[in-house]
Order: sequence, then C-alpha cells, then structure tokens
Amino acid sequence: MKKTFTKNLVVILALAFVVAACKQPTALIDSAKAAIEDVTKGGADKYAVEELKALNDDLTKAMDEVNAQDKKFFKKFGTAKDMLTQLATKAAELKAQIPAKIEAAKNLAVQLQGEAQTALTEAKDLLAKAPKGKGTAKDLEALKADLTGAETAFAEIQAALDGSDFNGAKDKAMSVKEKAAAIAEQVKAAIEKVKK
Amino acid sequence: MTAACRTPPVPSEVEEAIVLEQDLGRAGGSLFFPAEVEAYRLRLIELKAGFEVERAKFAWFRDYGPIQASFRRLLEEGGGILERVASAKNSRSDTFKTAARELEERVARLKAITGFFNENEAIRPYVTQAEIKLAEARLQGEKENYPEALKSAAEGMSFVEKAREAAGVVLARYLDPDELARWRRQAEDTVAATQAGGKVAFVVNKIERTLTVYRRGKAVASFGIGLGRFGLSDKLFSGDEATPEGQYRVVQKFPNSTFYKALLINYPNDLDRQEFAAAKRRGAVPEGATIGGAIEIHGGGRDNLTMGCVGLENGDMDEVFRWAEIGTPVTIVGALTVEGTILEDLRKFGKNG
Repeated sequence: MKKTFTKNLVVILALAFVVAACKQPTALIDSAKAAIEDVTKGGADKYAVEELKALNDDLTKAMDEVNAQDKKFFKKFGTAKDMLTQLATKAAELKAQIPAKIEAAKNLAVQLQGEAQTALTEAKDLLAKAPKGKGTAKDLEALKADLTGAETAFAEIQAALDGSDFNGAKDKAMSVKEKAAAIAEQVKAAIEKVKK
Repeated sequence: MTAACRTPPVPSEVEEAIVLEQDLGRAGGSLFFPAEVEAYRLRLIELKAGFEVERAKFAWFRDYGPIQASFRRLLEEGGGILERVASAKNSRSDTFKTAARELEERVARLKAITGFFNENEAIRPYVTQAEIKLAEARLQGEKENYPEALKSAAEGMSFVEKAREAAGVVLARYLDPDELARWRRQAEDTVAATQAGGKVAFVVNKIERTLTVYRRGKAVASFGIGLGRFGLSDKLFSGDEATPEGQYRVVQKFPNSTFYKALLINYPNDLDRQEFAAAKRRGAVPEGATIGGAIEIHGGGRDNLTMGCVGLENGDMDEVFRWAEIGTPVTIVGALTVEGTILEDLRKFGKNG
C-alpha cells in the first residue's frame, strides 16, 4: 500500500513538473516588460532612443521564441527564459545609465547655449563696430533688429533647461547659434561693402 | 506525461495580441492615440487574466472559445489602431512638411516686404524669431518628432502674424483711402501746375521710393530715393528722423554740399507749423522739441539713412539738380496707389492668412 502511494506520488510530481515545464515563462515576460516600461518612464524614450529600440527588438525576439515553443509538442522555454533574463538585465543596466545620459544631454544643451551666446556676442560686437557708411546704414539697422529677435529667442533656451527639456534646449540653442552666425556673416559682408 | 501537454492548444491570438501591443509601442502609438493604446493595454491585461483562469482549469474542462473570440476582437481593434497610427504618422509628416514650407515662404515674403522700408525695429525681431522657430521645427522633424515640430512651426507662424501686425501698424496710414485720396490730390495739383509754361515739378513717392520729374503734365524722369530711419512717418519735430509730407518748393540750391549736391525745400511750411503747434498742445511731441528744418533733396546715395531728407545716388542728383530751379514745386506724398506696391503685398499677405 505504502509502495503504491510512493509510486503514485512520484508520478504526480513528475506530471506536475512536466506541466510546469510546459507553461510559458509569464513571470519573466511580465518582468521584462515591466523593466522596459520602467526604463522608458525613466527617460529612455528621450535620452536613450536607440538603446530602447534595441530592448524592444530583443523583447520581440524573445516573444517570438516563446511563441515558437508554445506551438511545439515538447516545449522548451529555456532559450526564451535566457533571452528574457538577459533582457531584464540589459534594461536594468540601461536604467542605471539614464541619469548619466540625461546629464550628458543637459551638458550638451548647456554647451550649445554657451556657443549660441558666443555667436550672439560676436554678432553684437561686429554690429557695434561696423562703420555705418554709404550703403550699409540701412542694412545694419535691419541686422540690429534681427539680432534683437535672436536675443529674445535665446531666452527660451534657459526656459527649456529650467524645465528639464534638454533635447528641446539643444534644438533651440542650435537654431539661435545658426541665426546669430548668419547675422554675423551679414554684418561682415556689410563691413566689406564699405571697405570697397 | 505527454498527455499533460496535449491540452487544447493555446489560441495563437493571445500571443498575437501581445506582439501587437509591442508593435503599437514601437510605432509610437501612445504619441498619436494615447487613450486608445491605453485602452488596448488594459483590455489585454484583462483578457490575459481571463485566459490564465481558463488555462488553470483541468484540460477536459478548458474551453478557450469565448476568450479566443475576445482576443480576436481585441486584435481587430489593435490592428485598427496600428493602421491609424501609421496613417497619422504619414499624415503628420506631410502636415509638418506643408507647415514648414508655408512658414518658410511667409518668412521670405515678410523679409521682402520689410527689406523695402526702414521701420524694422518692431517688425524684424518677430521675423527672426519666426526663422529660428522654423530651424527648430526642422531639427525636430528630422527626428520624426512631428508633434513638437508642428508645435514649433505653429509658434513660428504666430511670430509671422505678429510681424505682419507690426508692419500693418507702420503702414496703416498708407492703406487709409482718405489719406491716399489727399496725397493723390496734392500730386495731381502739382502735376497740373506744370502744364503751363513748361514748368518743372518733383513728386516724391515714399512708398515707391521714387522722385519723379514732371514737365507739361508728363513724367519725364524718375529716380530711386532713400529715406530716413522713420522715413515713412510724416515729419512732426526735429530729430524724429521722419520725412515731411506736403507741398513744398525748392528755396536754395547747393552745388557743393556735404552730401554732394543739395536742394533745400521750405519745410516747415505754414501747415507744418500749424500741425506742430497742435501736436505740442496735445503733448504729442517731446518737451522742448522744435519743429526742425533743413530738409533737403541731396546726393550721397540712397542706401544711407537720412535724418529726414530725400537721398539720391550722385549721378541721379546731378540730373535732378539740373532740372531744379529756385521755386520748383516739390510734393512729397506717402503713396498714390496701393496696387503694385508693397502695400498690396502686405494686404495680400494678410488675406492669405
């Protein structure tokens, strides 16, 4: 009697093991997804776009593997589990890198803000010393007004930085810098016109 | 042992719905249709829970039919969202390209209009800000961040509108039919007076930037001119850098002037004095300001900003100087017509909205 019971128990446990082995690794899937969502919320969608895309691609591959195994008679989720585990690790690593990436984006935006300021100062200095000679007075007045507009736009960079919109600040700084440089070039051309 | 695995197969729709959720995420679905994507996500969680309940049952009690049908419906909904995302993405890209093109074109037109006159202090800063917004929009467009790119383009357009309004303020007088009629009358009277005796008269048209010589009622020569920083305004007092409007005459000829050659006109005339006195009474001129004078038609180039005089290229000044005599009528008007001038451009610019 006791022998039969042990035998049945072994069969039941083996059965339970097989059933368990046939089940999708849902917990791993959910935790991988949660890790991606977490890293996205942490700012990866703005500051680690490529890395986030790679993570999502890895998730697709892992899910393809899960799906492929699910259709099989003998299901082996080992590879899928490894993929999902690696994915969760990568997501955690990326999450740890996000603050540094945000800092780098901020530094770049601040650097470009400085470059935009330099370009504005250069244009302003050139305008101040440009001789208002024949044929330039009107142009220089117009450029002075243009520079006023660029200076107003410059203030928006700091507003974006204050709002932690570092990508926005970067785009604004690049645009202001470009315009200030164009104004400086026009002032130089006006100065050349007087020299001739 | 294998019997445990030979349960009713898991409906493929379950996995498809999960993959579709990822596809929606990758396609940027939550950027375009956040509510719909969130609803999909929540419904998927709900259905997955339902599926797990079904799967937990003993194989012979399991019936995936109803949950499979629900997953199918969810897949249809999700597929629809994905299609709409793709279409919205294309549409936003097209919308952005159109918006950027329109902004670029309007900035170029505004620059052409403002390049024509000197009163740019209140206008050009807006034009520049519009240009900077356009550059910003382009950078965002390159990153396919169309919502931000469109926002920047819209902000650029609002600067264009501000610039147009500021230009409208500068040119408001020029679009006033009564003012135009008055200027036309003055010019016609001046021209009519040249019919007899072969007399010569000059008509200076501020908006067209021309000085036209009339003899026997006909235009015999025309020259490009330059004005001061506020040349489009009617001169009211000394130092306002405006050019007077009205009917004057040459009172002195200077063959050797600081500005090559010069013709002094009789500004201020009686009407100017009356206007100055009235303006002073209502406090429209600075305290201690005088009416000013020494308004000339002179050489030195039309690109120079005058202090209220009418500037010509030296070669043109030679000719004008030859036509002029002491007493030659000089009528200075703002405009004679809207058609064919920047006034028409500005009017059209506003209508194109």
